[in-house]
Amino acid sequence: MSSKEKKIESAKARRTRTNVIVHIILAVLAAIWVFPVFWVIMTSFRAEKGSYVSTFFPKSLTLDNYIKLFTDTTVLNFPKMFLNTLIIAVCSCLLATFFVLSASFCLSRLKFRLRKPYMNMAMILGLFPGFMSMVAVYFILKAVGLTEGSLIRLALILCYSGGSALGFQISKGFFDTIPHEIDEAAMLDGCTKWQIFTKMVLPLSKPIVVYTALTSFISPWVDFIFAKVICRANSDQYTVAIGLWKMLEKEYIDNWYTCFAAGAVIISIPIAALFLKMQKYYVNGMTGAVKG
Amino acid sequence: MRRKLMRTAAAVTALAFLLVLTGCSGVSGDSETESIRLMVWSPSEDQSEDSGAWLQTCCENFAALHPEWDITFVYGVADEATAADSVAQDPEASADVFMYANDTITTLTDAQALAKFGGIYEEEIRATTSDTLLDSVTVDGYLYGVPYTTNTWFLYYDASVFTEEDVQSLDAMLEKGVVSFPFTNSWYLPAFYIGNGCTLFGDGTQEELGVDFGGENAVEVTNYLIDLLANSNFVVDADGSGMAGLRDGSISAIFSGSWDYGSVKEILGDNLGAAALPTFELNGETKQMYAYAGSKAIGVNAHSEYMVAAVELAVYLGSAECQLLHYQLRSVIPCNTDLLEQEDIQNDPVVIAQNNTFDYTSILQPFVSAMGNCWTPVENMGKSIRNGTTTHDNAEEQTVAMNEAMNSNGIS
Repeated sequence: MSSKEKKIESAKARRTRTNVIVHIILAVLAAIWVFPVFWVIMTSFRAEKGSYVSTFFPKSLTLDNYIKLFTDTTVLNFPKMFLNTLIIAVCSCLLATFFVLSASFCLSRLKFRLRKPYMNMAMILGLFPGFMSMVAVYFILKAVGLTEGSLIRLALILCYSGGSALGFQISKGFFDTIPHEIDEAAMLDGCTKWQIFTKMVLPLSKPIVVYTALTSFISPWVDFIFAKVICRANSDQYTVAIGLWKMLEKEYIDNWYTCFAAGAVIISIPIAALFLKMQKYYVNGMTGAVKG
Repeated sequence: MRRKLMRTAAAVTALAFLLVLTGCSGVSGDSETESIRLMVWSPSEDQSEDSGAWLQTCCENFAALHPEWDITFVYGVADEATAADSVAQDPEASADVFMYANDTITTLTDAQALAKFGGIYEEEIRATTSDTLLDSVTVDGYLYGVPYTTNTWFLYYDASVFTEEDVQSLDAMLEKGVVSFPFTNSWYLPAFYIGNGCTLFGDGTQEELGVDFGGENAVEVTNYLIDLLANSNFVVDADGSGMAGLRDGSISAIFSGSWDYGSVKEILGDNLGAAALPTFELNGETKQMYAYAGSKAIGVNAHSEYMVAAVELAVYLGSAECQLLHYQLRSVIPCNTDLLEQEDIQNDPVVIAQNNTFDYTSILQPFVSAMGNCWTPVENMGKSIRNGTTTHDNAEEQTVAMNEAMNSNGIS
């Protein structure tokens, strides 16, 4: 066996060794990352009551936590909260996606005098956390009469979608990469701006549409602070975030802790479903890009 | 195109105005009976059908007692601990009658959201409520609520492990069984310090006197706590571990309050025992543990449109009749002095434990605003003893540091 061959083999061996080490590290990291999620899922099936356990794996498993979550509705009405949140999230998702995409299209395609100042202003406003204006938003909504009864849902939808157009940066960046020649060609064929937007640009921008829809669904879905400030004592308008927070209060925690975990698992389902559904378009959008 | 745009804009504006208009309520007019609308907030269990819908029952009874009013009740959910935040956020759009924990009273008075009780109403409340309880809802001499229960913590124990004799003394208990105490929770830990003569704001209302948790007596307690933690029969209760231990039998006594009664009853069954706080041996002397105590009270919004009805309703909800129903439906421990003399209530161990704690082994939790600085330093003391950072060697230094932190708002 020549020394050259030996060298090659040892290089191969070295590579295998490195790969093994890298994969072990990755496996450990992946395990650590999945750990909390796994723990929540295990807890949601745990049969022992209470908020404290001495073993990682539940001693016995049950579906009762899920059943209780949906049937024991007199104190904490989870199904109602779930429905409220779903309505709010779906409506805000549709509205906000439309707002963001429209604003991005305008800023990318239309030239008007306040374009630059608007973008600067949006950038600066975006630097402030949204809940800074929370109290002001509450009093404005109250003045309009939206803080009582089922109008609270409308108030929350307005809250979540109203300011969304400020978050145009990413989709504007994407629209900028779509060649203007396509617009010009369409215009020559007699398209209006609206038609260019809906018939040309949007179909070419599926990934960013999906991204916008996902983010604008998730933010109302998981928001706590606006919901808490606006719902106040109207328990029939509570969203899941408030409900889950309530379950951990000192009066409820011993009875509701495992249901809290079940609730956490359930709220992840719509997000996961939405992502899986939209992932198809995401991939299609990426592969079907137009060659400039 | 432009015209279309203008039309859309006009439509949007019109819609906005319409929304503004719907915000205003309709006009109501009546001759003999006055129609009024009362908004009432309570914890959701009080409204739950499963636990007897206490609030609705009481409100309907109230309406029947007052035919001169045609009352529409609007119910909202706000538990006693957090009601103050919701009310203070916007008193004008809050409930006419609500329930609050007395440690949040300054939040409410600062927001000018609480109505004062006076005249016949005050007399009626004073006649059937103990002075300590009245003090808990009195600010600057004015009465701000109708107390309906006490709010404190006491001892739950397994009666098959400890006798009634044992639970008088923590040291006797530690010899016979495992005791769990929320060592890192600053609502509980001061019990030992207060037991050895440490004070908070003089008598609890003298903010200028500050906190005295740093003297020689406090150092003694810190040293005692270090030894207590080393006892193998003493377990720290954190994140519900006490209840879990009670459930699996590894722990025989925990310190908690009436909110855990249902769970403890389920676990211990007939062996459930409850008692006021025990004493502890400190350098050969017997000292009494003292809990923070407060009350829960029914308050009336100072912005209420129907003040007379709101005050009447608050007094009614805090009356013996409603307290009894509250006790029967939800085991809310009554505090009405007439009611406490009834035999069935007197035989309830939890009622006795909570009321004995309130009367003999507690101090009124100060509600001066500087009290807000006192929670974190004590919690950190508990944690540092548990972690072993505070030892006999630096106990004095750490205690003085805790006292300094409690007396400082962290800014100046």
